[in-house]
Amino acid sequence: MIGNSVLAREFWENGKSAACPIYDMHGHMGDFHSIYFPRGDTAAMIRTMDECGVRILVFSHHTALFSPDLANTRSVEAVRQFPDRLRAYCAINPNYPEIVEREVASFAGLFPDVYVGFKFLSDYHQIALTDDRYRPAWEYADARGLLVLAHTWGGSRFDGEDVVRQVAERYPNVKFLLGHSCHGAWDAAVQLARDFPNVYLELTAVFDDRGVIEKFVREAGSERMLFGTDLPWFDPHHAVGVLLNADISDDDRHNICHRNAERLLTPLMAEKWRVSRSSATVSPPPPSAATD
Amino acid sequence: MNFFDCNAFFGLPSLRPLMPVATAENLLTEMDRAGVEKALVWHIAQHDGAPRVGNQLLAEAIAPHPRLMGCWTVLPNQAHEFPAPDELFQQMQAARVAALRVFPNAHKFLLNAVSMGELLEAMVARRVPLFVSVKRGITWHDVYNLLAEFPDLVCVICDHGCWGEDRMFRPLLERYPNVYVDTAQYLLDGGIESLVADYGPRRVLFGSGFPESYFGGMMMALKHAQISDEAKALIASGNLERIIGEVLSADLAD
Repeated sequence: MIGNSVLAREFWENGKSAACPIYDMHGHMGDFHSIYFPRGDTAAMIRTMDECGVRILVFSHHTALFSPDLANTRSVEAVRQFPDRLRAYCAINPNYPEIVEREVASFAGLFPDVYVGFKFLSDYHQIALTDDRYRPAWEYADARGLLVLAHTWGGSRFDGEDVVRQVAERYPNVKFLLGHSCHGAWDAAVQLARDFPNVYLELTAVFDDRGVIEKFVREAGSERMLFGTDLPWFDPHHAVGVLLNADISDDDRHNICHRNAERLLTPLMAEKWRVSRSSATVSPPPPSAATD
Repeated sequence: MNFFDCNAFFGLPSLRPLMPVATAENLLTEMDRAGVEKALVWHIAQHDGAPRVGNQLLAEAIAPHPRLMGCWTVLPNQAHEFPAPDELFQQMQAARVAALRVFPNAHKFLLNAVSMGELLEAMVARRVPLFVSVKRGITWHDVYNLLAEFPDLVCVICDHGCWGEDRMFRPLLERYPNVYVDTAQYLLDGGIESLVADYGPRRVLFGSGFPESYFGGMMMALKHAQISDEAKALIASGNLERIIGEVLSADLAD
């Protein structure tokens, strides 16, 4: 078994924990050109979430990021299909300011039943986070205290630590989720979390770098860390296994898996969902629903 | 479920990582903490320093620890840096070394029949596995060219990456019956079950990539993969036991 804690025993045996639901704050959906996804469609992703105890996934559909013709339509459809399990980031592709304007204008009508914030993918769209073409989304989010999940990668001129610092200073009311935690620039990521109370370290692709979890917990605090997997890219069980094997406490694991996300999402989510979450906490799924 | 890790190393890298694992004893402590029974290991000096230096460090370090089997690194031998294959294999058996690794890009050579034909032919004849790491020192083109020349080579492709390499290694699994992939960095959701469905459970080996990756990640992924318990047992340990068991028990000299 990969650890001796209460959570380790429960997750190892059952694949999930009633006491420690997972809020995956960084997901995608659907096909993408350079990878084969065995479980890439909405139903298969929900099946993975069930197997791993992922209570809710906040995601942006691959078409929302890479097919401007479709924009966010497939994200919206998926959330409407599974309103108790999914929320979407409104993906912004700054290469098309006219679409950005349209998508930001549509946000109010889809919040909070569909959207809880925005998603920026600057390394791929090759426009820095500081560029004016993101401004409508940044300003909208800042005025309302919404989430912004940005892909961030150490050293990048589009979304590296120096660029992140500029926008973190500019938009202090945004709940700024650093996707991949400025991957590789771990010291800078810690410093950003220390300098900006609205910055969170999101852990997609961080789980495969041994030592970073412990470093973040020690130097930034587990209250600033968020679970993420890029689902359907990465198996949530892998991420859970890393958290259980890492030299951190069960309290830290609770913070990372659900407490921090609950604090961020609860003010943004619909009343209907809050009721659903409360009842699920009181009555967890029966043991027979476990996957092993 | 017993775990036999095919892909772990110890020793101090030339560039300091966040959590180095300096010795075989440190490695065993972490294996115990995670619940890994045995491991096929190498020493980072085989890559960062020099193969002969690292091989010696490895042999000395694992000698007192029967839970650890070794994987040495080799080079083209035109300069006679290594003994001839028969003698090399005998030295391997004496040192409980069951497989070989190469890092052609980092060590500046071409992995082909011209450079290494004698050794590779001997490895095929004696079923000595060759481990290659896509993360560290080999390209997919190198692997494809190698297997085109040595289609019966027992070849374990490690560290093939987390960003979608199925289209690279699946053709090799289809074409070459002695090709295996390890699980290190194979984070793909549903990946293990998909591979088992398409190729059976005998072509995948549990590998952690420790100490650069955590043991627990792929242990948990395998434990809860939607495949049979028999398939899990083969991937966790059975396949590696079978592959290197042939090497450790066989008479490898001509």
